[in-house]
Amino acid sequence: MNNMSTLAAGLPDNVHDTQQAFRWVLDALSRPGLPQAMGAALPGVPLGGAMARLLLSLCDDETPVWWQGDAQVLQNWLRFHTGASVATDKNAAAFAVINQLDDTLVLNDFALASAEFPERSSTLLIELPALSGGPDLDWRGPGIANVQRVSLQGLTADFWLQWQTNQALFPQGVDIIFTCGDSVLGLPRTTRVSQMEGV
Amino acid sequence: MTSQTLSNPALDRKAWLAVLARSSWLQLAAHIPAPEILINLERVRPPEIGMVMLRGRIGGTGNPFNLGEATVVRSAVRLGNGPLGVSYALGRDKRHSELAAIFDALLQDPLHYTSLMHYLIKPLAHAQTQATAAIQNKMASSKVEFFTFVRGEA
Repeated sequence: MNNMSTLAAGLPDNVHDTQQAFRWVLDALSRPGLPQAMGAALPGVPLGGAMARLLLSLCDDETPVWWQGDAQVLQNWLRFHTGASVATDKNAAAFAVINQLDDTLVLNDFALASAEFPERSSTLLIELPALSGGPDLDWRGPGIANVQRVSLQGLTADFWLQWQTNQALFPQGVDIIFTCGDSVLGLPRTTRVSQMEGV
Repeated sequence: MTSQTLSNPALDRKAWLAVLARSSWLQLAAHIPAPEILINLERVRPPEIGMVMLRGRIGGTGNPFNLGEATVVRSAVRLGNGPLGVSYALGRDKRHSELAAIFDALLQDPLHYTSLMHYLIKPLAHAQTQATAAIQNKMASSKVEFFTFVRGEA
């Protein structure tokens, strides 16, 4: 019961807030590279506003969530509000919460789904220090008219190499939703990212 | 019987939750806590209405089967930094659910436990036991006993 006394509340207006969140994440994934504002952080929840709202909106009892590091309080919080279980195996996770991107992150460890059921892949929710101000990269693909210039911060060069491999797996592969505070930015598996400017 | 159950600390919370769930909003509203207590109310889970599947066994034995769905309302509240109060009850009375959760939170607080137990839970439990007994007595008069005679030598 002790850890129950630290349990934080969920969305203030569950039905409308989740519908709103669905709309923003739909926009984020259909227009890759364009940041969308999701709403303020929730009181008592040590997550950014976008990350907390995404988790409460997207998860249910059929979506195991993999957590980076020890997150017992957050796991209890999410299970209380959505019923989402904890995935110990990355390959079994429907969603993955990553707060600190480092070299140990391997995209291939997560569920890549199969050609018959491409929707059974993991969706990675990655919190970044900033969605702008990093190295400029050109994003191309469905949802982008010509080219989208995105400069995310806190990503390693190795990450983009992995992303090229992931993108080549299409229709398999993971999707990524970057969050930073209140904002969200989508990177679906269809988006091609050029390593160097102008290439 | 009821007082015996309530005096057992391990079953205490289970028992008062059951009593609160079977009570009506009117019964609880008569004991509504003072405003200075409710000022710190945090709705961890605002009252929400949903369905649960009821399962049963014929005659209390055999394999469980799905009897049907029932409407339930549930909520969870916290008063200040105190313990989490929860409520699950049949029906769709959100006011009742929230009030029951508040009482659950207060009952876990030693400051309010004794008085609430005395003025709210015990009278309610007594009334509920009596109501159940009244129905059982009424039903017992129409009970039919079936006998089977054993063929052959006893």
